[in-house]
Amino acid sequence: MNLFFKELKSYRKGLFFWCLGIIALVGSGMAKYTVLKGNGKAVVELMSQFPQSVQTALGFTGFDLTKASGYYGVLFMYIALMVTVHAVLLGAGILSKEERDKTSEFLFVKPISRSKVLTGKILAGLFNVIILNIVTLISSVYFIGYFANGESFMNDILVLMSGLLFLQVIFFFIGTMVAGVSKKPKLSATIATSVLLLTFVITFFININESFNWLKYFTPFKYFDAKDLMLNGGFDPLYVLISLILIILMVVITYVSYNARDLDI
Amino acid sequence: MNIIETKKLTKYYGKSLGISDVDLVVKEGEIFGFIGPNGAGKSTTIRTLLGLVHPTSGSATIFGKDITKFGPEIKEEIGYLPSEVFYYDDMRVIDLLKYSGSFYKKNQSVILKKIKELAEYLDLDLKKKIDDLSYGNKKKVGIIQGLLHEPKLIILDEPTGGLDPLMQQRFFDLLREENKKGVTILFSSHILGEVQKLCDRVAIIKNGKIVKIENIKDLAKNTHKRFKLEFFGKVDYRQFTDLEGVSDLTTKDNNVSFLFKGDINKVTKIIAEFDLVNLLVEEPDLEEIFMHYYQTDKK
Amino acid sequence: MNVFFRELKAYRNSTVVWIFSLCSLVTVFLLMYPAFTRDVDTTRQIMENLPAAVRSALDISLQNFFTIYGFFVYLFTFATVAGAVQAMNLGVGIISKEESGKTVDFLLTKPISRFKVFTSKLSASVILLLITNVFFCTASYVVARMVSTGDFNNKIFLMILITFLFVQLFFLALGILMSVVINKIKSPIAASLPTVFTFFVIGMLGSIIGSENVRYISPFKFYDLNYVINNGQYEPVYIVIELVFVIVAVVTGYILYSRKDIRAVS
Repeated sequence: MNLFFKELKSYRKGLFFWCLGIIALVGSGMAKYTVLKGNGKAVVELMSQFPQSVQTALGFTGFDLTKASGYYGVLFMYIALMVTVHAVLLGAGILSKEERDKTSEFLFVKPISRSKVLTGKILAGLFNVIILNIVTLISSVYFIGYFANGESFMNDILVLMSGLLFLQVIFFFIGTMVAGVSKKPKLSATIATSVLLLTFVITFFININESFNWLKYFTPFKYFDAKDLMLNGGFDPLYVLISLILIILMVVITYVSYNARDLDI
Repeated sequence: MNIIETKKLTKYYGKSLGISDVDLVVKEGEIFGFIGPNGAGKSTTIRTLLGLVHPTSGSATIFGKDITKFGPEIKEEIGYLPSEVFYYDDMRVIDLLKYSGSFYKKNQSVILKKIKELAEYLDLDLKKKIDDLSYGNKKKVGIIQGLLHEPKLIILDEPTGGLDPLMQQRFFDLLREENKKGVTILFSSHILGEVQKLCDRVAIIKNGKIVKIENIKDLAKNTHKRFKLEFFGKVDYRQFTDLEGVSDLTTKDNNVSFLFKGDINKVTKIIAEFDLVNLLVEEPDLEEIFMHYYQTDKK
Repeated sequence: MNVFFRELKAYRNSTVVWIFSLCSLVTVFLLMYPAFTRDVDTTRQIMENLPAAVRSALDISLQNFFTIYGFFVYLFTFATVAGAVQAMNLGVGIISKEESGKTVDFLLTKPISRFKVFTSKLSASVILLLITNVFFCTASYVVARMVSTGDFNNKIFLMILITFLFVQLFFLALGILMSVVINKIKSPIAASLPTVFTFFVIGMLGSIIGSENVRYISPFKFYDLNYVINNGQYEPVYIVIELVFVIVAVVTGYILYSRKDIRAVS
């Protein structure tokens, strides 16, 4: 589809820089692991005795920091934050772009339905998201392997990356949904990122204080929490189900609302 | 006094030429037209005069003051009507116009009165939101915004696009009213009929250089007349084609049409030999004259 | 002054939202302090059972943490990130908003110098940030005072709070610089969010290991709050760095802005 390829082309440069950024993040993050390697065992054992809130506050979240993969689990939170920012901005932007740049009049009088436009854009967006995910995967595998002591970590990483992909897709569609519903293109990016930040803050509160645990259904970061994924050996089916339902719901809302509303010209 | 005076005004955008060695003089109280093909440099000239773009070399003064040094001061007395109108969507028309007026040192209540007068004359609802206006109505906002402070110089860049014929008339009437008061007008346009109706003098710019500056009246005089002849029988047109000064000759059955520049007696002498059914002699409109300038390259 | 007031008005709603969000965040977080103090007691008990050497090593780094300051500081880092996004949005907007809204022609053909336009918008942004800070600091102070159980040093708390403004000013300047260098920023948040987060993550990574160099790069680390708590003052080096950066960025922004050609709208 011509639209699909045009969208890909227009995001080419941005995607390139995001990939560079992620590689740099993973690389430098893991490079700092060498400092911790070997030194940390005693501290880690000690820390695990402290109450959850203190641990979180100090940045120790139950991982075995002496292992490269354990350390990566801590790093994962920041990686997840960056790629979800990318996903949510992409989702909101790819839709609101036409209205924001006043190209709606050009595009929507062509013999192409709004749904087809949507599909093309969504596919292009998901393509970007997947590329970023793969780049994260490859750089993670590379850098962990480089710094690790020959431990096996592939399984862990694959599970984490799959969880990451879920997170990206969820936030991508949060972005498209907000842009689909909202009539003001500039506002949709703001709203979508606010949702992201809110869920992140909720995650943080949950970590600090166990009594907030019931909130975990409100934040996708908890569905694919690094600790759970690695230590519990895989996905929790309940969370996967919730994610799928959410995604389907958001996709439907995106299509329906974008078709129904007036375009802001 | 010369209201606008430019000396070898030049602007290069990087390597590509905007305008080169533009020398213009616009006298007080005149309506000066500015025409040229797309990309010729009209907008560049205007934008340089208004300080939106900085000249690469050369200089210009408005009201005798250098445009680079006295920018804001000069603009107190300039009204600018752009071709593309964009305003703050979140405002209402009246708010935008009041905001516009607040930049000028003139009495704000006088400005407000003028806003209301103009809005009524142009049939514009002051309470509407900018966002809700049609293109033509946004243009009206542009007109009012350019005139509300009673400037001494009005610079127009393709101003009538989007206005309905009645509004165009009213707009021109407004301009003429201002001009009678002594306001100078610089008018850039593609619509040659408008330029012809309104302007005293006109400058033609092409490829960044001024090609010609003329009085409208002289322009017509110095150029061709169009002859349209219908004869009774077949005629040997070679007499016309051979005549020096004839151009653009077309024939159909017993009709011939051509442009002629020179002593018209030469033509009448030839015509006198024949029996005519119909004779039409027209002064070409500006369009025909200028198309010549727009097209010269193609020869 | 009209430009100044219009800017204030235009950002009114979003500033209110920011203020509300920041204050709510801080309040909710601080209200968890009482629960936290219980955890602290548990932690203290565990620490009793540690060998003396380890305990003293840990004690130093944990000591501040157990106070209200330490607890607050943890949240404060995140709040500062949010504040940085607000500030950078404003900074980018100073120059880009007119461009992307195509109202540049309207504004710059008025009898007002580019200097006045620039400073009016800059002042408006600074005022908005100051207002945000007043509300944020007041809310933080009031709630912190309410939940605090031990000593409470006003001066130190205030010094911590003011770093919020410092970080915001840094990102305001950065936003200005970015928008004058990159010509068309159509969505300020798409520029500010990733930038702010990048600085944040750099700062975080550095601090996990304790790398000192990171402190020169990430404004989130310019002000070591532990140092402030212990010594009651900022480290002069970083104040200088920030001042230099802000001044250079703002001046550069202004110079580039005045020289810029505003091409015809397309």
